[in-house]
Amino acid sequence: MIEDMQNYLEYIDAYFQRTLDPAEIKEFEQKIAQDKEFADEVAFYLSAKQSLKAEADKEKKEWFKELLAQERPVIDINQYRSAKKAWIYRASAAAAVIIFVFLAWSIFFSKTASPHQMAESYIDENFKTLSVKMGEKDSLQEGLRLYNEGQYNSSLQQFESMVQRDTGNYLLNNYIGIVYPKLGNYDKALYYFRQFEDDTLYSNPSQFNQALTLLKRNLPGDKEKAKELLQQVVDRDLEGKEIAQKWLDKW
Amino acid sequence: MNLFNKPTVSSDEREIIDSIAQNGAERKKGEERLFNRYAYFIKEAVYKYSLPQEDAFDLYSDTIISAIEKIASGSFQGRSSLKTWLYSIFHNKYVDLLRKKTTNKNSINQTLSISDLLLEISDHSKSIVQKLVDKTDWEVLRERLVQVGENCRQMLLLWADGYGDKDIAALMEYKTPDVVKTTRLRCLEKLKQLYRKT
Repeated sequence: MIEDMQNYLEYIDAYFQRTLDPAEIKEFEQKIAQDKEFADEVAFYLSAKQSLKAEADKEKKEWFKELLAQERPVIDINQYRSAKKAWIYRASAAAAVIIFVFLAWSIFFSKTASPHQMAESYIDENFKTLSVKMGEKDSLQEGLRLYNEGQYNSSLQQFESMVQRDTGNYLLNNYIGIVYPKLGNYDKALYYFRQFEDDTLYSNPSQFNQALTLLKRNLPGDKEKAKELLQQVVDRDLEGKEIAQKWLDKW
Repeated sequence: MNLFNKPTVSSDEREIIDSIAQNGAERKKGEERLFNRYAYFIKEAVYKYSLPQEDAFDLYSDTIISAIEKIASGSFQGRSSLKTWLYSIFHNKYVDLLRKKTTNKNSINQTLSISDLLLEISDHSKSIVQKLVDKTDWEVLRERLVQVGENCRQMLLLWADGYGDKDIAALMEYKTPDVVKTTRLRCLEKLKQLYRKT
C-alpha cells in the first residue's frame, strides 16, 4: 500500500479521510510506532490541519464582526439603555392595551375557570401527543411513539431504561414526568421533574411542569404550592412564563 | 422547551441547518443566517454575565463556530430546538471561560489542541504522535501559511474548515474533486517544505 503511494502525505490523508481498509489502518498505525520519519509526517499533517483550522476560525470571527456591524450597531451600553427606555415606553403602552383587553375578557368570560380547570384544559390541548421525528428509529423516538399510541407502561419502560444509562439527561427526565400522570402517579412525575430544576438550561421547564402536575393532582396544599412555582416561573423568567402570568392574574 | 411544547426544530431553523449541512456554496449563507439570528445572545452575555463586550462577542462567535462544525458533521440531531441547543453550547463555553480565567490557562494551547483529530489513532501510536505535535512551532507554521500563495492558502483553509474536495471544487471552480485533492496535497507539501526550512 505504502509503496503505491506517491508520498506519505497522500497515504496519511487517506487514513484521516477514512478511505483505508482495516488491514491498511493497522499497517498505518504500526508504521507510526516503527518509523520515526513517518510519525513525523503524521504529526505535521495534524499540526498543519489544526493550525489551519485556527486560522479559518480567526477569519470567520472577522467576518462575524462585519456581519454584526452591518446588521446591528455595536453594543454600546448607554445607547442600549436609551433604546431600552424607548422600548419600555412602547411596551408599556402596548401592555396597557393588552391588559385592558385581557381583564375585560377575564371578567366576562373566564371568571369561573379554576386553576385546576385551567391546567386540565391546557394539558388536554397540548399533551395528547409528543412530537416524533419522521424516519428516525432510535430508542427515544420509540418511547415517544409508544406514548402517542397510548401504551404508557411500555413508553415508561423505554424512557426509564434510557435514563438509567444517562441520569443527567433532562429531556428523558422530562418525558418520564410526562408519562407518569397518564398512569395516575403524580408523585413520581414530580420526582422526575425535580431532577432538573436546578439545571442552567436556557428554557428550563421544570418549575412550570411541576406546577401543572400539582394543579392536576389537586390535593390539599397543591394549589398553593403550584401558585408559588408559577410565581417563580414569572420571577425567574423561566419556560412557560407567559402562561404562568396569565394564570396568576386569573387566580 | 416545556413538556407541552414539543422539542421540534422550526421550519426556519431547519432551513438554516440544511444549508449548513450541504457544505457547499449554501453553507456560507446558512452560517450568516445562524450568526445573525441569535446575535442577541451577545447582549445577554453583557447584561446577564456582566462580560465585557469583546468577551461576549468571542463567546458567541466560538459558540457559532462550534455549532457550525457540529451541524456540518451531522452531530446535531434536532432533539431540541436550535435555539435551546445553541444556548447550551453558549452557556458551557461561558463556564469554560470562567474556569479558564480562574485557572489562568494558556488560551493558545487550548485553541491548538489536536485531541479531536488524534481520537482516530490507536492509543500507542497516539502518544508517539502527540509528543511530536507538542514540538510544533505554531507561530512559524502560521507565518509559513502566508507564504504558500493565496490559492493554496484558500484551499487549505476550506479543507481545515471541514469542506470536502467536492465542495472545494465547486467553490473554487476546479474541474473535479481529484484535481482538488492533488492540488491540496501539493499545497500541504509546499507548506511542509517551507516550515522545515526554518
